[in-house]
Amino acid sequence: MPRETFDRELQRLQDEILALSSMVENALTESVEILKRRDMEGSRRLIAQDRLINEKRFAIEADALVAIATQQPMASDLRILAAILVLATELERIGDYAKGIARINLMMGEGPLIKPLIDVPRMAEKAQSMLHRALGAFVRGDVDLARAIPAEDDEVDALYNQVYRELMTFIMSDPRNIDQANYLLWVAHNLERAADRVTNICERVIFTVTGEMVEMDSEEGLIGIT
Amino acid sequence: MSKIEIEHLSFYYGDFLALSNISMVIRDRDITALIGPSGCGKSTFLRCLNRMNDTISGTRLEGHVLLDDQDIYAPGTDVVDLRRRVGMVFQRPNPFPQPVFDNVAFGPRVLGLHRKENLANMVEESLRGAALWDEVKDDLRQDALSLSLGQQQRLCIARVIAVKPEVILMDEPCSALDPIDTLEIEELMQRLKENYCIVIVTHNMQQAARVSDWTGFFWLGEMVEFDATDIIFTRPSHQLTEGYITGRAG
Repeated sequence: MPRETFDRELQRLQDEILALSSMVENALTESVEILKRRDMEGSRRLIAQDRLINEKRFAIEADALVAIATQQPMASDLRILAAILVLATELERIGDYAKGIARINLMMGEGPLIKPLIDVPRMAEKAQSMLHRALGAFVRGDVDLARAIPAEDDEVDALYNQVYRELMTFIMSDPRNIDQANYLLWVAHNLERAADRVTNICERVIFTVTGEMVEMDSEEGLIGIT
Repeated sequence: MSKIEIEHLSFYYGDFLALSNISMVIRDRDITALIGPSGCGKSTFLRCLNRMNDTISGTRLEGHVLLDDQDIYAPGTDVVDLRRRVGMVFQRPNPFPQPVFDNVAFGPRVLGLHRKENLANMVEESLRGAALWDEVKDDLRQDALSLSLGQQQRLCIARVIAVKPEVILMDEPCSALDPIDTLEIEELMQRLKENYCIVIVTHNMQQAARVSDWTGFFWLGEMVEFDATDIIFTRPSHQLTEGYITGRAG
């Protein structure tokens, strides 16, 4: 009893999630690049482009709801659609973190940075890599990979802690650094939260494949703002 | 609390093995749904629970069906009383071509209840129980066949509960009904399960998911999987169940 039409729609929705993820990954990487370049125009462009991410998220959600209403999915089909709804939301939130970094860049203005950005780009790179592979795990139904990725969040947390300590040192050495250090701490915080959202995505991948609701803890070992 | 225990039940039509070694427990005051493709044995299984298959010649049953710990296939079982205790609602509403009142009063009269006042109370109670009273109370003498199909099916349910059963078997009770009548029967089932053990056979998986607490999936005469309904429809254990409920097998 084949369900070719429904299978095609499920595949299309998964492809749309991949497309959304690709937009979000680019936004995340780009947000830190424009911060490094002190690129105000780039920040404004990135903020404007977030609208496209939001629109795609709503389109995916609407189509997934139509599929649920019209196709009465059960079991693994239902889990995939439930995961698509969650993933669309998680991805859109990660997009918001990227937009947040662009906003911070605008608030900081065009002046030079108090320090060269080293660990912040590493955080962005790591979060983007985790996200990319988490989506790969989703489309391939790779539970082992989905279970492995959240452990990498510890590296992001460690980088965050490092950034935090370093910025505190800058603040203590010269109170004039407070504003920018505070902004940069928020950038790091956004990246740390983005990686946390990848953990949520991995939890959904595990649920999609196994039906198990598991929590992959990612909050341990953080200092400062969480 | 278990109401019916089925132990190693196999059933044959002549040499054909229609049900193979089925064991399960049906709980009281819950709704148990039996699903599976046509010919998988689910209706045969249902009819084993009140010995309706006895009426078909050349059939044979192995194993045990215990109703409140008593084997209903034990020699000396009063089959008429068994079918009073385990009533049945069929696919097509089958009221007698008689007034509504007489349809419901039929069973109690057979059982010896003849006092007019008692009968009237019993009829009202049963029609209320089947959520039909308000629609027919003004004319209990109307011909049952003049009712809508959904009303006829609820009348059949009233007829079953008039003889104070303990278990109600429903064989595709909504397949002849429109969506509104179907939902009325489903709502009624939720009320009935407060007092009765209900077993329903249905082709409609959404209906099984909506109404039942437990679901058994039948395939080629075997019960492949039996579990809580929310598990069966979200994360079944067997590939066959998954294939069937997602519409990719069967």
